[in-house]
Amino acid sequence: MSLFPVARDATAAKRAPASALPPPSGCWRLAWQWPGSGEASLLISRRSALANAGLLLALLVASGVYLALGSVHLAPRALVAALVGQGDALAQFMVIELRLPRLVAAWLTGAAFAVAGCLMQTLARNRLATPGIIGIDNGATAFAVASLVGLGVSLAPPAMALAGAATAAAITFGLTAGGGSRGYRFIVAGIGVGAVFGAITQLLLARVDMDTANAAYPWTVGTLNARPPGALLVLGVGLAVGVVMALQLSRALSLMRFSEAIAQGLGSRVARRRWQVLGVSVLLTGLAVAVAGPVGMVGLIGPEIARALSCRRGVPIIASMLAGALVMVLADLVGRVLLAPIELPVGIVTAVVGGPWLLWILLRPHRSLA
Amino acid sequence: MSQAQLATPVPRLAATWLTLVLLLVGVALLSVLLGAGDVGPTRALAALAGGGDPEARFVVGSLRLPRTLIGVAVGLALGVAGALLQAVTRNPLAEPGLLGVSAGSAFAVAVALLLGASATTLRVSAAQLGALAGCLCVLSVTRLRGVGSDPVRLVLAGAAFSGLLGSLTALLLLFDQRAADEIRFWVIGSLSGRRADDLLAVLPGLALAAAIVVSIARPLAALSLGERVASGLGHRPGRVRLLVIVAVALLVGAATAVAGPIAFVGLVVPFAARALAGPDIRRVLWLCMPLGPLMVISADILSRLLVAPSEMPLGVLTALCGAPVLVAVVRARRMPTL
Amino acid sequence: MFLTLLSRRPLLALTLTLLTTGAQAQSVETAHGPVDVGPDPERVVTLHEGALDTALAVGMTPLGAVTTRGGDGVASYLDDYLDEIAIVGVVREINIEAVLNQQPDLILAPPQLSDEQYALLSRIAPTVVPPAQGFTREAWKDDARLYGQALGREDQVEEAIADVERRAADIAQTLDERGIDSGATLVRWMPQGPLVMSSQLFSTGVLAAAGLEVHDGGLVPEQAGHSDPLSLENLSRIDDDWLFLATLNEDGEEALASARRSPAFERLDVVQRERVVSVDGQLWSSAQGPLAAQAILDDLERVLLP
Repeated sequence: MSLFPVARDATAAKRAPASALPPPSGCWRLAWQWPGSGEASLLISRRSALANAGLLLALLVASGVYLALGSVHLAPRALVAALVGQGDALAQFMVIELRLPRLVAAWLTGAAFAVAGCLMQTLARNRLATPGIIGIDNGATAFAVASLVGLGVSLAPPAMALAGAATAAAITFGLTAGGGSRGYRFIVAGIGVGAVFGAITQLLLARVDMDTANAAYPWTVGTLNARPPGALLVLGVGLAVGVVMALQLSRALSLMRFSEAIAQGLGSRVARRRWQVLGVSVLLTGLAVAVAGPVGMVGLIGPEIARALSCRRGVPIIASMLAGALVMVLADLVGRVLLAPIELPVGIVTAVVGGPWLLWILLRPHRSLA
Repeated sequence: MSQAQLATPVPRLAATWLTLVLLLVGVALLSVLLGAGDVGPTRALAALAGGGDPEARFVVGSLRLPRTLIGVAVGLALGVAGALLQAVTRNPLAEPGLLGVSAGSAFAVAVALLLGASATTLRVSAAQLGALAGCLCVLSVTRLRGVGSDPVRLVLAGAAFSGLLGSLTALLLLFDQRAADEIRFWVIGSLSGRRADDLLAVLPGLALAAAIVVSIARPLAALSLGERVASGLGHRPGRVRLLVIVAVALLVGAATAVAGPIAFVGLVVPFAARALAGPDIRRVLWLCMPLGPLMVISADILSRLLVAPSEMPLGVLTALCGAPVLVAVVRARRMPTL
Repeated sequence: MFLTLLSRRPLLALTLTLLTTGAQAQSVETAHGPVDVGPDPERVVTLHEGALDTALAVGMTPLGAVTTRGGDGVASYLDDYLDEIAIVGVVREINIEAVLNQQPDLILAPPQLSDEQYALLSRIAPTVVPPAQGFTREAWKDDARLYGQALGREDQVEEAIADVERRAADIAQTLDERGIDSGATLVRWMPQGPLVMSSQLFSTGVLAAAGLEVHDGGLVPEQAGHSDPLSLENLSRIDDDWLFLATLNEDGEEALASARRSPAFERLDVVQRERVVSVDGQLWSSAQGPLAAQAILDDLERVLLP
């Protein structure tokens, strides 16, 4: 979705009141009167609004199916009864205690990964530049695994995962002061830092016994099975803050999509914005990894769907959020149902689905990667 | 990279080369003298001289010497492959490990294990095939899309490809705990426990690659001046590129087959060589030949000594050395294109 | 299309109702504090190989279990004791819904169970998690006693453990009488070289009880590690009277052949004397419990006391 607060736009402010102009084609205008300070208005792309409504609807339907299906399938009536706290006690437990928290975790992590991916992709003008691919996930995994294989660290794995994401990002930030144009220096250094953390993870896993390696497994692939509630709560708060910040940054970003010169000419403080965008992106990824482990592929798929549906002009933050949540819910649903009673971790499902997509992006002829 | 634009005089280059070779001989000697075991330098030296106790003779002759030779071959192959790849893509970050070769090899091993091979009996061929496939995939992407010369895009494509293969490997391992247990030891490169016949098995590939490199060194240097210049000098750029890719795949496949995935050697070695010799690919290749083994053997010595009496995998050490160089490359004021 | 399995089944009491019938419930001390279990559990789900082994040893057939490593089902040494059992996930990914679906009244879990999983499982049924002890030879006995207590069959567990101890002592005596060399090392052979298993594991503990002197070449730190990769240069440290070579598949001979291609291995004294024994890694490096101990002792008698 793209929100264009035209009334605040420096170039438009001196002209006639925005409401006097007809809205551009394909947009709706939302106008309102601030008490005392005049009029403000928003242009909303019709296509983006419809895309968001569609995504929301799809997310709701998918969530309903998610709650109904599993090792035991529930009829719609039984599901509704369980949700309102009636009927079969076992079904109630299954829906309310097992599936509902997992569904919420899927929503929040999917949304966070996708928004983070959307921000970084837009900044780098490269759809492969997602936090997962540039090594933030690897840092989180290495730290979580280190705490599990007993390196004398008492912090719980989710906290360690967050610390690992922050460390990987901090090292990368520190190494690339300035970020380079489009933040590419950040990205390449991130890949290097990620490779080191990946090697460390392999080393740790090679030196422990199988039971410990198994305990570390969720942190190496990403899963939504029995995730820590505390980390989920933190993610919820972080996501709310992060999305608001992302929306505020999206205008600067949509200018930076063209070129730095244009963005600077339009009054955007490019360097500072770039750091803010990277910061929000890393924060959201770190919080999401602390809950679900490395499911970085959602950061690629979610924004991709969002961009395909939304209008081309803006940065599709809201649509990415919804699409990311949808992808995560569907992927986890497939993982739970496909090979029951064996559950496939959600990170593997998204990778298997996202893999061909990735290859397609890489191999598709005649179109730019950006 | 700034002074690299000025061509180094040939005599000075020869002096540098000689120094590096002497250094390599010294390090190789150290590698024979030092080890994780109880055979210390004095006993090893005696064994080298033809005397010494049987235990020392065995350790030196059957373990440390082959291992050092394999280190030389692996370093040579990886260093030269990195230099070639970077020259042909004109991209200082083009490194086999970063481009998904290691992930390809791990994936191939996982498939082989699932199909019933056991890590103890698995021959190196599976790893080699996987490395080749990984290498070819990413290289074909760079050829198809013309992204090869954009450093960031190429590295991103490689990272994305590695991530994809990593997830597929994890999927296979979910269903097979045995494979999961054994692959942990396969996915990190190491020179430990390799036998001399492993080296013999890959020698033909290395020889073929060497022949290709000799035949294309001149056209490749011309290519670095631009396609038109190369065509004007009577070379065919498309054919040169194809040959380079074949040579790189052979070299990396051989190295991965013997030692497993070892990242960053192909990045660090050409980087150092360019700093010493300037941008001319022929000079860079000359310097890569002693530099590659130098790096691999030094890292291998460290891997034996750091956690003796056990050993630390070589791949971890090279990754630790390589990441700072990667950062140094991108920290250069302007991303250098070759 | 939608199955309504649940409503057709008689609804078993969930945790809360169990807790209120505490009159006959007995309390067992677990890693998560005291847990009240029902007097005579009938519907048991085991999420640990040692728990499954112990339950079968005392004549209780669980309804569900996780797969063993390297297989689609439970470990093959248990085939004789078990006809069919529902799989409720793999060690790496326990399917909590599938556990719930078995409507258990007791869950026997591994020491490594994560807190989040415990929080959910313990609301389905009393969940018994043994305190994690690291790697010690006797830990399996404590685990088995705890599982036995939870099953209400402490006596049978004590009996099973005593059987193991008695048989091990018999073997030790026979070995001693016949003057058979008693040094032993357990390794797994990897492409890079051998992986020496700690002398503090379940299987090496059973070997020790049977009178063997188990070494780990001084390589595995006390109480800390499971196994450690050994440099080929130090291979002479595993040159023992007996070398047990564990493989996680059936092609033990192949693994042995591969190891023999290494000159460092070939020149070991123990290899020259043909005293290398390949054993089932499923049993020797990951199982635990009274039945597993008996199976290891079977292997031992077959090789050392033919």
